[in-house]
Amino acid sequence: MSDNILAIETIGLVRRYGRTDAVNGLNLRVRPGRCYGFFGRNGAGKTTTIKCLLNLLRPTSGEARVFGLDPAKNEVAVKSRIAYVPDHVAFYPWMTVRQTLDYFASFRPRWNEQTEASLLERFQLDPRQKTTHLSKGQRTQLGLIAAICPDPELLVLDEPTSGLDPIVRREFIQTVIGAYQEGDPGRRTVFVSTHLISEFEGLIDEFTIIDRGREVLTLDADAARDRYRKIYARFAAVPAALDIGGSRVLRRDARELEIVVNGNAADVIDRLRVHAPETLEVEALSLEEIFVSTLHPAGAVA
Amino acid sequence: MLFQLNFKSGKAVYLQLVDQVKLAAAAGTLRTGEPLPSIRPLAEQLRVNRNTVAKAYAELESQGVIETVAGKGCFLRAAGSPFRKDVRRRLLGETMDGAVVHAHHLQIDKEEFLRIAEERFDTLEHKRIRAGNV
Repeated sequence: MSDNILAIETIGLVRRYGRTDAVNGLNLRVRPGRCYGFFGRNGAGKTTTIKCLLNLLRPTSGEARVFGLDPAKNEVAVKSRIAYVPDHVAFYPWMTVRQTLDYFASFRPRWNEQTEASLLERFQLDPRQKTTHLSKGQRTQLGLIAAICPDPELLVLDEPTSGLDPIVRREFIQTVIGAYQEGDPGRRTVFVSTHLISEFEGLIDEFTIIDRGREVLTLDADAARDRYRKIYARFAAVPAALDIGGSRVLRRDARELEIVVNGNAADVIDRLRVHAPETLEVEALSLEEIFVSTLHPAGAVA
Repeated sequence: MLFQLNFKSGKAVYLQLVDQVKLAAAAGTLRTGEPLPSIRPLAEQLRVNRNTVAKAYAELESQGVIETVAGKGCFLRAAGSPFRKDVRRRLLGETMDGAVVHAHHLQIDKEEFLRIAEERFDTLEHKRIRAGNV
């Protein structure tokens, strides 16, 4: 596969339900080998986008491409190279763990039995257990095994860890890092939609924040952590005419000012210093904090 | 755990790892010839992308801090920079410019700055002695 073919691309993707635009002109470009975060609040359009990529929904307009192919026209070619873990994993209740994995394997050209054995061991899943008797955490673990064993080039995770206990969540992420990325790293792309951003922080190379079906921010994770700073300043009285160079105000009252700056921290700090603040503190932001401050309703502050 | 990452430091994650390996080497916690953890277990343990660890190791190798032995992994090299002395002086000078500017803004004068530098050297040396690796 040549490197310039994107693992995922959407061009002006729109999906409407009745009068609601769940996805409204979304552009995404996910390069192969990346671990891409797709962040948004509940109802932002994340799952709808993913369903368009998997051909579970048809776009109202615009295009979705997976490995450069239209998932509706090349369904088998696309699906044979991807795996998907939704937030609610369902299996046939009459099957055992063993039968379920054999069933999934029967659809796949490849099945990594070594990975299967090591993950069953790691998660301590009993192959003879009926899937109805599995806990939610165990069902997700089984879903992850079924997704990783075919060695897919693209692993799509939709809110994979919501509702799981912290230990299962941790193991889930470690498995994606370890077992999934173990193969040919240039051909192991992860696309993860989540609002539990802090858990995936270390995994994410690049991300898009989506709100009301539109892209709000797309950035490289290291670049984002480098650019955003939160500045807290306390004055005798916050100057009325204060030029903060287009920063986002998180909080402002008579004496305190809390803002988020994007790329021009040094400049903004100099502007604040002119007004002789009593306290001036600067801190870097994690991806989760960048997410919150990006979607912070600006109207909520004076 | 030998390495601790902070996603709120504003610093690229792979560079944090680079700095921590260098610190561990300077403090004697990691010794010459000692193997570094291999990429997969370290990535799993820190819960970071494998690419991040690989990028950090590549950077450490290009700086001459570690060496990769095919099929065996990465090992800490004896202290020794591949650069000439003048280049080394310049590289350190650039880093110190930042500290000097920082000192100015924190109202720390030259004398105090030098005293702090001496303290930091001593601390590192004590660590090395404690690690039994003088």
